[in-house]
Amino acid sequence: MAPLLELKGIGKSYPGVRALDGVDLCLEAGEVLGLIGENGAGKSTLMKILGGVLPPSEGRIRIAGRDRASLSVAEASAAGIAFVHQELNLFDNLDVAGNVLFGRESVRGGPLRLLDRRAAAARVAPLLRRLGADFAPETPVAELSIAQRQLVEIARALAAEARIIILDEPTSSLTLSETARLLSVVKELRTGGTGLIYITHRLGEIIDCADRVVCLRDGRLAGALPREEIAHAAMIRLMIGRELRALYAPPGRAAGAGGLEARGLVTPAFPGQAVDLHVRPGEILGLAGLVGAGRTSLARSLFGLDPPLGGAVLLDGRPLRLASPREAVEAGIYLVPEDRKRDGLVLDMPIVENVTLASAPAYARFGLIRRAAEWAASEAQRAALRIRAPDSAARVGDLSGGNQQKVVLARWLSMAPRVILLDEPTRGIDVGAKGEIYALMRALADRGVAILMISSDMEEVLGVSDRILVMHEGRISGGLEREGFSEQAVLRLAIGEVPAPDAAGQQESLPA
Amino acid sequence: MKRRSILAAPAALALAGLPRGAGAQEKRSLAFVVNVSADFWTICRRGIEKANREHPDFAMEMIVPGQASAAEQRRIVDELLARRVAGIAISPINPANSTEMLNRAAAQAVLFTSDSDAPNSNRAVYIGTDNVAAGREAGAQMKRALPKGGKAMLFVGTMDADNARERVQGIREALQGSQIQVVDIRTDESDIARAKRNVEDTLARYSDIDLLVGLWAYNTPQIYQAVKAAGREGKVQVVGFDEDALTLRGVADGTILSTVVQQPFEFGYQSMVGMVRYLNNDRGFIPASKQIIIPTRIIDKSNVAEFQAQMRELLRGR
Amino acid sequence: MSKKEIGLALLLIVIGGITAALNPLFLSGVNLLNMANLIGLFGIFAIGQGLIIITGGIDLSVGSIFALLGVVLVDLLVNFELAWPLAVLAVLGAGLVLGLLHGLLVTRLKLQPFVVTLCGLLIYRGIARYYTQDSTIGFGYAGAELDTLAWLASGRSLGIPNPFLILLLVAGVMAVVLHRTVFGRHLYAVGRNEEAARHSGINTDGVIMGAYLLGGGLAGLATVLLVFYTSSVSPSSFGSFYELYAIAAAVLGGCSLRGGEGSILGIVLGTVLLQILQNLVNILGIPSSLNFAVMGAVILMGVIADRQLGLRRQRIQMTRSQPAAAE
Repeated sequence: MAPLLELKGIGKSYPGVRALDGVDLCLEAGEVLGLIGENGAGKSTLMKILGGVLPPSEGRIRIAGRDRASLSVAEASAAGIAFVHQELNLFDNLDVAGNVLFGRESVRGGPLRLLDRRAAAARVAPLLRRLGADFAPETPVAELSIAQRQLVEIARALAAEARIIILDEPTSSLTLSETARLLSVVKELRTGGTGLIYITHRLGEIIDCADRVVCLRDGRLAGALPREEIAHAAMIRLMIGRELRALYAPPGRAAGAGGLEARGLVTPAFPGQAVDLHVRPGEILGLAGLVGAGRTSLARSLFGLDPPLGGAVLLDGRPLRLASPREAVEAGIYLVPEDRKRDGLVLDMPIVENVTLASAPAYARFGLIRRAAEWAASEAQRAALRIRAPDSAARVGDLSGGNQQKVVLARWLSMAPRVILLDEPTRGIDVGAKGEIYALMRALADRGVAILMISSDMEEVLGVSDRILVMHEGRISGGLEREGFSEQAVLRLAIGEVPAPDAAGQQESLPA
Repeated sequence: MKRRSILAAPAALALAGLPRGAGAQEKRSLAFVVNVSADFWTICRRGIEKANREHPDFAMEMIVPGQASAAEQRRIVDELLARRVAGIAISPINPANSTEMLNRAAAQAVLFTSDSDAPNSNRAVYIGTDNVAAGREAGAQMKRALPKGGKAMLFVGTMDADNARERVQGIREALQGSQIQVVDIRTDESDIARAKRNVEDTLARYSDIDLLVGLWAYNTPQIYQAVKAAGREGKVQVVGFDEDALTLRGVADGTILSTVVQQPFEFGYQSMVGMVRYLNNDRGFIPASKQIIIPTRIIDKSNVAEFQAQMRELLRGR
Repeated sequence: MSKKEIGLALLLIVIGGITAALNPLFLSGVNLLNMANLIGLFGIFAIGQGLIIITGGIDLSVGSIFALLGVVLVDLLVNFELAWPLAVLAVLGAGLVLGLLHGLLVTRLKLQPFVVTLCGLLIYRGIARYYTQDSTIGFGYAGAELDTLAWLASGRSLGIPNPFLILLLVAGVMAVVLHRTVFGRHLYAVGRNEEAARHSGINTDGVIMGAYLLGGGLAGLATVLLVFYTSSVSPSSFGSFYELYAIAAAVLGGCSLRGGEGSILGIVLGTVLLQILQNLVNILGIPSSLNFAVMGAVILMGVIADRQLGLRRQRIQMTRSQPAAAE
């Protein structure tokens, strides 16, 4: 039987540059193909070609035995290719069935072509059952969590009778348990004969579900791994062409006294729960938990975005009044937000203005900003953080995710940080840049900054933190010291179980 | 209960806004609906007030639409009819196409037209200026200004108003056979600043323009100011309409040769008194033509001082 | 000068050149000075409008503010015979208060600027008409005691119309404020991404309020000049639609209604273009009735050209930076 999809010698050239060069790819029915590669390796370009968004410069695409020189979006869709995107493409104002059947709605006869809601629900319900969804076809999408929306996207692909489903970073916004469920859905689809291409930066997921791994590097095929050879070290070697240093760097100094302390803090998201937390200068405190456990609300309250309803926040033992981020910033408490494009950066502004956004008055004399001074400060940060851009005049929106995150960090590093709250600091950032950001965090901690890192990436939580606190439904369900770190222990606390005394004994080997 | 009180509030406000409150219930109301806000109508209001003093058993009011549009006027008339006023005098903005609305009003109340006539409607009588005749008067003044002929420019708000078209018609009739050439008519859509810029631009473009004519009340003062600012007094003649304070000042200092004034005081007074007589079944004052023409006057240097004093008196304490 | 401003300047030169070729009187001193006067009048409040548009807001109420503050000014001067500096200060203060009110409603009650200022448009016009009982008021019978103010607001210095000089002053100050100060930087940041600005500890509400305050103050200043341009205020039509001239000038000058874009120079050039368009209708003897149509057509062409050029630039940049951003 012919493979579902075969790419031969696909190349894509832009004036002066080859984004893709001679890429071969093959997908069989009932196979999960892991596609990995650093940002800029050409994964998105390849997927755009498959989706009919970009025409290839050369090569051929063969779908179910039929050759095609290129595809249009409509042809790709008709050929049974469906995408589940990193950024979800759902209509918030429609219900689940409306989204799943969008473009192929159930209609009653007659000239008005009225929508037949009952028929639509009847068509969608079995798809949702198959995916193990816990919501009804009539649920408005606006009420769904990100994980549930992901399932809606997959249901949409199933409704379109897609033979080939491409999942592009599907778990970047999911919690651990939601990720586990998605992976079981992927396996279920595979048994049904669908071919899946699974793109992710989270190598653990590849190990869990992929039958084969293909890695792109600099627009070329860097190599492929069969099922039995899939392992962290091998994949990282393929992606960056060398071994990655160990994730964990031990602290260069002992955690000091003082730091940021929350006593009986009540956040607006969980008015019934009080949180106690203490992050000391020089340590990286990991804050783990399911999405919705209250970690982001806690960080927002500590930063003054959602002023706390009760309790106290102390910095070096002195109580703070946090009515707005202004007070937090003045006290030296900085937040690196989860959604850097929405909350962290002004994408249309150059690097320099983003770096000095929070500290412009410091560069002003008589209210007038001294351009040379802020430029020098920004260039210094750009060099120190190795932000890849020609100079500080580059528009931040044109930078890669990792470099954008470094700009957010540069803003705070150019000031006087006492406490830095990082919310999912490496989401959507490639492996190489991740390492740089971890190194920066460690260097900051060694300078005496207290660091609180919220993360849903298990590798990151276990690999970077000096200490872990886990949240469950708005409260701290437990803490772990470095020697007690294990995936199971974190997971149990995250779902609200008190860990068994022997939890530390089940410690998993960490990627080295 | 709460809901009702919320609904009642605006109604109560609206009632409080009526001119004579609860007393209006027994008194019969007469309304004068004008076309746009202007000093012209303030003088008219004095005429209405005089009529009201003579007939205190009536409630008389003047209503100014928010915009000079036929639609706005129609809405006002419909509301007046809903309030069961006894009589309406109106200066219709678009008489030719308002016949249906005017006839509806005429069926439910006494209807007079004033200032601008609607001869095809069932209005009882028209009381006001004959704008074609007023135009001829202005034409005569233009010939007086330029006995040897020359170039003239006309300024007006919009040409889709009947009084503008009729005045232009009268001017053209009067100028037949003379050496005066009307170069163009510039309109400003009732934007006073644009009325002034139209004059400025005309003075900039035509170095040889001899005569500027303002057809609407606010046009002439803007001509006066622009001519003075350009230092072209004496070189450019001005003829105007109506009795804006600046227009009269221009007549007094000689920049403006003369202005053709109507007698809005008489519009207001005679319309109201006429409606009272009509309601008392006295119709003898209506001529066969159903038009009571109130003649225009020419104000020039010879009579401007006396006229200014009269105007100040009428407009005082407004 | 940004590319946008250069493009607008080129458009000005082309249109001016064509007009001058068709009628050389376009470039006569008298005509240029007349235009400078009007550019001054309309430019001042267009700058205020531009500042508000940069925050992502809009001010539909300026035209009605002119009517309301205009009748107040004339009333204070003519009927209350208040000393003119006090009357002018009262009007400027009232403009600031209205701006503050808009700012408070937008930031504290989180109302949409369009709705807030649309209500302002209706309310102020209504109050102005009620206040004057719908009659036109002006300086017709006023005496010589207003000559100083009349000269300041509508006279000329060294042959240059004072409103134009005032515009130059306002534009200069506002250009420094917008392009050089911390407040200006924050204004752009708030307009482009209010959330990111808030996350940087910027007092976003204060910044937005500042823009509405400046807009209100400039509207008050423009009121004084406009009243002395026409010498009379008819409350039902005075300033009507002027908010649209201001919005058109700001948009022509590169302000995006989404916020975060625009410059003082651009807004001033946009005003110049609008005034040239109105002037050329008269200078070329195009029928007055086509005035709005000419204005609308040129604005539309300008915006289309800008958009197309912008897209082409973007495409060129895309193809250049594609490999870097390929992932």
